[in-house]
Amino acid sequence: MKNIPLKKFYLYIILASCIASSALFVQNNDSFYERTIAEVKEVQTHHSEEVKDIYDNEDRLYEQRIVAEITNGEEKGQQIQLSNQYSKSKAYDYEIQTGQKLFVSIEEKKEGAGELSGDILDLKRDHYILLTGWIFILILLFVGKKQGLFSIISLAVNAVLLSYALDVYLKNPEISLLLICSAAVILFTVTSLLLVNGFNEKTYAAIIATLAATFLSLLITYLVIRLTGGKGLKYEELQFITRPYQMVFLAGLFIGSLGAVMDVAITMSSSLFSLYEKNNSIPVQALKRSGMEVGKDIMGTMTNILFFAYISGSIPMLILYIKNDSPLGFSLSMNLSLELARALAGGIGIVITIPIGLYTTIYFINRKRAQR
Amino acid sequence: MNAILLLAAILFILMTLIGGKKGARSFFAIFLNFGVIIFVLFFMNDPNINPIIVTLFACAFIGCINLFFINEVNIKTKTAFLASIITTVVLIVFIVIIAEKSMIQGFGEEEIEELSIFSLYIGVDFVKVAASVIIMSTIGAITDAAMAISSPMREIHYHHPDISRKELFQAGISIGKDILGTSTNTLFFAFFGGYLALLIWFKDLSYSPGEIINSKIFSGEMITIFCAGIGVTMVIPITSWITAMYLVKRGNTSDTTE
Repeated sequence: MKNIPLKKFYLYIILASCIASSALFVQNNDSFYERTIAEVKEVQTHHSEEVKDIYDNEDRLYEQRIVAEITNGEEKGQQIQLSNQYSKSKAYDYEIQTGQKLFVSIEEKKEGAGELSGDILDLKRDHYILLTGWIFILILLFVGKKQGLFSIISLAVNAVLLSYALDVYLKNPEISLLLICSAAVILFTVTSLLLVNGFNEKTYAAIIATLAATFLSLLITYLVIRLTGGKGLKYEELQFITRPYQMVFLAGLFIGSLGAVMDVAITMSSSLFSLYEKNNSIPVQALKRSGMEVGKDIMGTMTNILFFAYISGSIPMLILYIKNDSPLGFSLSMNLSLELARALAGGIGIVITIPIGLYTTIYFINRKRAQR
Repeated sequence: MNAILLLAAILFILMTLIGGKKGARSFFAIFLNFGVIIFVLFFMNDPNINPIIVTLFACAFIGCINLFFINEVNIKTKTAFLASIITTVVLIVFIVIIAEKSMIQGFGEEEIEELSIFSLYIGVDFVKVAASVIIMSTIGAITDAAMAISSPMREIHYHHPDISRKELFQAGISIGKDILGTSTNTLFFAFFGGYLALLIWFKDLSYSPGEIINSKIFSGEMITIFCAGIGVTMVIPITSWITAMYLVKRGNTSDTTE
């Protein structure tokens, strides 16, 4: 313990108590839920059978009888009888195990019946989110130390900003979602870049480049969609739509490419500034050449980050389509058109950030030179 | 004209204008990666093949494309490749456990209505598929971070050939700290951009916070974001360590033979 400075020691204690108290909270927060929660005490798989669907896909169905104890509400402490059916593939169902907590609905208790019965609504998953969340935070702090802490703060601030922006939109549907997202994008860019890199010319150059490049790439995508009349984009695959779908799609695309564009902008400006700091009299021509080299190096991997982040999510749906005998071309165009458009538009954003970032940074470097 | 083709054409023109030959290669790499995804899809459709194994092979292929094809085979890309594979293997063990416990696989109740025409009993293990999806959505970011660390470490070693292994490792970690914030941000915004419709849906249908957090779709998305963050963070010490081991050992032996 003597190697650890007192301040750090306190930080460890604060962190440990945060983890412990939040873990304790999600384990015992059942009474805060309005829906009835029951903890599984006994599971019995009493029946299983082979099934074959019309496409010759083989699967196995299981039936479970479950005894659980209600942990909140008026019936707290009482036993409840539940039944569950699940398949081996578990596409929409799940195998219940002892110790799990479930959301259940209680049926009217019949006169004379000893135990309650009901249906399973869903699984309680909050403690798994908490667990992965803490592992993420701990690894980030362990590897990144102070920078790790700043990244966590910036992620949290961005999440709150996003949620607030959506609230504003839902309360004032007459304001365009794109307008609200534009305001949010400016806030996101300024807060994240300032938090991660501090107040200096490097950050200012990156902020200007990010904003210029994101708006320009949005404009390009918008023009492309207008020009082609949105042909090839299957908006019907957009799930969870309660609002004008094209706006929601464009806004998602706008926010989605922002992180990657910021990444490119800060890489460009910090590498150029480090060249300038090493050699104050470096000619602009040399800066341009090095900047383009850096840009070429990062362009390929950056576009691929977005590509995989967007496309991979469609895999389960694609499997379902193909297993249900849909032709491959139809399945791909139904499920991937919007994801591909997002990835490509994000790629355009990344690539145009390279020259924009280069010239804004050179402008800032020249201004600094003139001040000397 | 098809909007996607037009976007692809614009991207291709921009990439070759700015990146020259390397830009064209980067564009072509997207197509190769698309091919890998189609292959993955085919193998995952066979219930007898474990999706996790398919994913590991796919990640190796994607690593080859992103590192060796876009750049070239050299010390930087080799160490980055090794580090990406090790990170992927470690991460996949963790993700499989989490996916099995939290049961975020398959489709949520919000989606199920539009899927009513489909047969859901198709024999494919959706828990493993869910774990594969999380890994696949992160692999691009993992190879990117590995490359972003191994390449400047090589430069440092080149300019200071007598640097000790420990110092080189420290240098790698400090580069990693600088890119940490931006890489987590990149993933965060990419995912939230994709989930925007879902978030509006939850707010519009006035789900309570408890319902949102415990719903299959939202918890699946959150776990994906966290696992992606864990992946890009974990790759930093792993790449620094492997590159330091490799470069300094090599440096010493070449000194003695020369």
